[in-house]
Parts: sequence; structure tokens; C-alpha cells
Amino acid sequence: MSLIKLEDVSKLYGFGDATTLALDEVNLAIDKGEFVAVMGPSGCGKSTLLNIMGLLDRPTHGTYRLQNRLVDRLSQNRAAKLRRDTIGFIFQSYNLLPKLTVLENVALPLAYKGVGVTKRVKLASQILERVGMQNREYFFPNQLSGGQIQCAAIARALVNDPSIIIADEPTGNLDSAGSRLVMELLSEIHKMGNTIIFVTHNPELTKYATRVVYMHDGMIIEDETTSIGEVAKTAKRRMYSLPKKTAEDDLAGVSLLMKVVPDKTEVPSSSGQAKSKQANSTKRKRRYMKAKRQK
Amino acid sequence: MSLRSGHIHTAIATMRTNRWRSVLTMFGITVGVASVIVIIGISQGVKNEITNQVYAFSKNVITVTSKAANLTNFGVSQVPTVSTLTNQDVTSIGKIKGVTASVPMIIESGLVTGDKTLHGGIVIATSSELPSVLNQSLAFGSFFTSEDISSYPAVLGYNASVGLFKENVPLGFSFNWRGQPFIVNGVLNGFRVTPFSNNTLYNNAVFIPSQAAKQLDPGGGSLFQILARVDNSKDLNKVGGEITAALIKNHGGQKNFSVLLPSQVAKNNTGILNLLTELTIGIALISLFVGGVGIMNVMLVSVAERIHEIGIRKAIGASNRQVMSQFLVEATTVSVTGGLIGILLALLADLVLKLVTNLSPSISWEIIVIGAAISMLIGIVFGSIPAIRAASKEPIEALRNE
Repeated sequence: MSLIKLEDVSKLYGFGDATTLALDEVNLAIDKGEFVAVMGPSGCGKSTLLNIMGLLDRPTHGTYRLQNRLVDRLSQNRAAKLRRDTIGFIFQSYNLLPKLTVLENVALPLAYKGVGVTKRVKLASQILERVGMQNREYFFPNQLSGGQIQCAAIARALVNDPSIIIADEPTGNLDSAGSRLVMELLSEIHKMGNTIIFVTHNPELTKYATRVVYMHDGMIIEDETTSIGEVAKTAKRRMYSLPKKTAEDDLAGVSLLMKVVPDKTEVPSSSGQAKSKQANSTKRKRRYMKAKRQK
Repeated sequence: MSLRSGHIHTAIATMRTNRWRSVLTMFGITVGVASVIVIIGISQGVKNEITNQVYAFSKNVITVTSKAANLTNFGVSQVPTVSTLTNQDVTSIGKIKGVTASVPMIIESGLVTGDKTLHGGIVIATSSELPSVLNQSLAFGSFFTSEDISSYPAVLGYNASVGLFKENVPLGFSFNWRGQPFIVNGVLNGFRVTPFSNNTLYNNAVFIPSQAAKQLDPGGGSLFQILARVDNSKDLNKVGGEITAALIKNHGGQKNFSVLLPSQVAKNNTGILNLLTELTIGIALISLFVGGVGIMNVMLVSVAERIHEIGIRKAIGASNRQVMSQFLVEATTVSVTGGLIGILLALLADLVLKLVTNLSPSISWEIIVIGAAISMLIGIVFGSIPAIRAASKEPIEALRNE
């Protein structure tokens, strides 16, 4: 049984003409103990996927089962509780509260759980010791290096003993030494039996993962199981060569432009199902055009 | 509990970092709470003085006043010149069972001249029974008795004695009124001057026997008050009723007078005071309200500034209620701090008032507790809208906001 199961999950942002499709009927099942790297170009929906899996966001369509429980329509408070107890978040920008010390930051999830202050401090300081931050407990985040802050953030994510760790580009703001530190830590946590899902742009880091998922334009285009210690085969290729546009795509783009020329040239349309499929694909193409124009 | 203390900790930290903003926010609450407490304190102090027997008449005296002239009970200037009461009323009251003394108080006109001419004083013609209703002892000498009326005796109020004579103890000295020399038989101790009482009037009065006054001024002065002493305080109500009945009979069925029991005198005097107090408290409450709106405003800004923080807190598991409670605690901390400063200011003002004026405000601990409670309530009421707004943010929207 899968720990996380997404079925036909779509996420739309905005209204009317400004609607964008961040996730396009994604199907994904993640088992307990997997170490999943999510890769893909910017704006392909990686973060949206993680936010939905982490119960920070809700899918517009589709169903999400977490531990075999339907969670896509949970109320804010129930979601908060589930998030607190089963999911630990690690962010690219660390997101520690600047006015609290490292120890207070790490102990905060426990406070929301209702753990008493003595036990809280004890647990937090144990976790900090595990991430090698025991002598930085009373530092404020701005007194630490990026790698250290991220270690503290990992400690915070771990303190509630969550079964799932979700990390959105945890190494995005770190240099290579910091990245290594953070990834080694995550892989150690993985060895303890936690499920980890992380986003990265660095193909090198796929060597820590057991599975690599590639996304493009809100869809999962490749799903590869790798062994730990090896850089995923397709990782490098994918990172530097995005799927090429075919001549057909270009033509569709041109015809799209034709539409807005005010001579009312009617675009011939086919019927029924084919039409809706076409509409779906033109939407994607329209975004291509938009991106192109912006460049 | 521990989470709440953490919230208080955060709130204080936030107040420290935004020091000026916090001070300005608190200011409204501080002023409001301080003024409410000071006003209540002053009015309570005055009421205490009135009820605490620092009053011209002793406890068991029924006061009968002429209604036609009794426009207000508001100080000396309102002493009536035309009265509906007559000497017949004095005797009628004296005959009622339970009344041990019926004392007329008649204001007479005319200059009083001793060593100096008395300015701002008045002549009150009364009977020798006045000491039995008066709640004041004599500084020197004695009151005149019914026997020595033929020698034209007089008793002076304390200020009148100073105003008439250079001598400190003017016993046996004489002064002239309407061409007749009067001999000073005694000087009253000063009545304590309190707001809303006629004590100032009695300090400036020259008391002479009513028989002498009638003889020298046949037209008569104005009988503005009859004081009836009742020895048994249980009879006060009953005697009051009988006095009313007797006077209505005397006045041909008209009730153009009022009969005031001691408790009613105090109530009459505090009535206007209560009204004024309520009015001023109303104004002070407006300032509290404005202070509350200020808190709401600042909290809304604070929520807007800290949307990202709210996102982080939600991402690591804070429920809506926990976020709401954080901002409520923060608003309440600001308002309660403001309130406490207000209470301190009020106590300080109380001290200054006691030193500088003759008011003696009394600030009881109840008022202080109420002040603290009001400021807390304001924090909760006006903090709740920003807190609810903070709590209802979608976590992902909040996190995206930087």
C-alpha cells in the first residue's frame, strides 16, 4: 500500500484568461521508505506538487490519499494537525523565525502539539545534537551560515518524528559544502526509515535518491528508479535538454497568433473529443508562446 | 499554557522591536484608562465626603425647604429670597410627635458692621435650638439661649468672625445690624468646605435670634429652611410623612415645599454629581474606543507584515486557533500594558490632586481591577478581527508572501 497516492491531481491558478495549469492530471504513488528526487525546469509544478503532498495546498481536481486516507478536502484545522504529526517541511529559504533562537525554532512544532516546556527543550536539544548543532542552540538564525541554518531547519522538520519529510530545494541556497552536509543528513534520516521527497535542480544530488521523478509543464514525464550512490542516468540529459518543440507545435503556435488578428479567419475545428484534447494541448502551447515572448 | 506564555514572550519581543509603534498604540488606552479611573476616583471621593457626615446638619434632621425657590441645590447663590414657608409651619412641625426641635432658618438682609463691614456674609435668623441640629461645635463661647434674647446675642460663623473683627476671640464684642448692636456670644468652628454642600454659607453666616430679627425687620426675611430634629432615627420616615401632611394643611392643600430626609439630602446633592460623572466617563470611554481602534489598526498592519511568519507557523503545524491566539495575546499584551501605565498615571494624578486641590479622590482597588479588565477587554475585542484574519490565511498563500 502506498504511503502517498495521487490520482489525476490537477491544480489551476487564477481565473478566466489568466488561468494557468500548474499540475495536469498527475498520478503518483510513493511507498514508505522511498527517497524521491523531483526534478524539472522552473515553473514545471514541482513545488505545487510538493505543497499538495504536504497538505499546504489543495488540488483543484483529483484525489489525494495519505496513509490510505482521503485528505484532499480536509478542513484547514484537520490539515494542520495531520501536517504537524506526519509531515516535516524543509524550505529553500530555511524559513526559521528570525526572532527565536535555534532551540526555540526547533521546539516550536512541539509547542503546537502541546508538549510541555521542559520536555520540549529536551527533545529539541536531542534533535539538534543529531544534526550536529548542539553547540549552536542559543544562536539566532542570522548568526549562522546557510548550511547550519538548513541543519536547524531539518532538525525542526524532524522534531515531531514525522514519517514524511518534504524538502523544496533544500540545497538551493547553499554552496557545495553546505549541500553535501544537508544531503548527507537527509540520507541518514532516510536510513532511519523516513520517506523523503525533495526537489533539486542539481543532477549530482540524485545519487542520494532511490527514485527520480522528472516533471515538465505540470506533468510527470519520466519516473526512474535508481540505486543510491549513482547519478540518475537521465538526470543530466534532462536537465540540459528540455523536450524539443516539434514543427507541429510551432505551427500550432502560429495558428494561435493568427486567431487574434482581427480578420476573423476561422480556424477549422474537428468535432467532439478530439476538440477537447486539442484544447488541452493548445493551452500548454499558449504558455510556451507566452514564455517565449517574455524572453 | 506554555504555548501561551511563548506567545506573551513573542508579543513582548515584537513590542520591543517596534517600540515607537507600540508606545503610540498604547497611548490611547493609557489616556482612556487613566481618565476613567481619575474621574471615578474624584466623584467617589466627593460622594464619600458628602455621605461621611462632613455635612452641616446632624444625622437625624429632616430638612423642609420652600419649593418655589428651591430651583437647584447647587451652592450658595441659589439661596431663595421668596419663600412659601411660614412661621406657622415652624410651630406646626414643632408640635408633631417625635420632633424634638423645629428650627427656622431665615435669611435677613442688611449690612453687618463690627470693626469692619462684613462682605460676602449673610444674616440668618434662627432659634436657640439650632445647636441641637447643627453638626458643629463652637470654637469659643456658647450659643444663645431663649432667656437672653433681650440682650441681642449673636453667634458668628468662623469666616464671619474673621470678617467682622480684628480680634481673634471676639467674645463680648458688638456689631451693628439695622441700627441695633448685637453682642457676640460665641463663634462656631469652621465647617469643612466640601463640594455641593451649603457649608460655605454657614461659615460666612451671622446667626441671630429670630425674635430679635422680627422686631428689627417686621417685613421679615425669607424662611428658606425649617430643620426638624428627630431623636429616634427609626421614626424619620413616619415623621417626614406627618410633616408633609401638616404643611399641606397649612398651605391650603398645595405642596409647594419639599421634605427631605437625611438620606435624600445626600442623594439630591450627589444626583448632579453622578450625572456629570457619567457624562465625563462617557467621553473617556470614547477615548478608550478610539484607542481600541488604534490597536486594531496596528494589529492589522502587523498581521500584513508577518504573513510569511504565519505561513511558516502553519507549515510546521500551527492550527488556525493557535495562530489566532498568538495575535490575540499580542493585542491584549499591548492593551493591558497601556492599561497598566494608565493605572499608574491615574494613581499619580490622584496624588497630585490630593496635594494641590482640596479634592480627595478615592481610588479603590475595584476601580483598578475594572480598569485593567477594561483594557484587557479592549485588546480582545479589537484584536479579534486582525487575529481572525491572520488565522484564516491559506498556508501556501502566506508562505509565498515575502
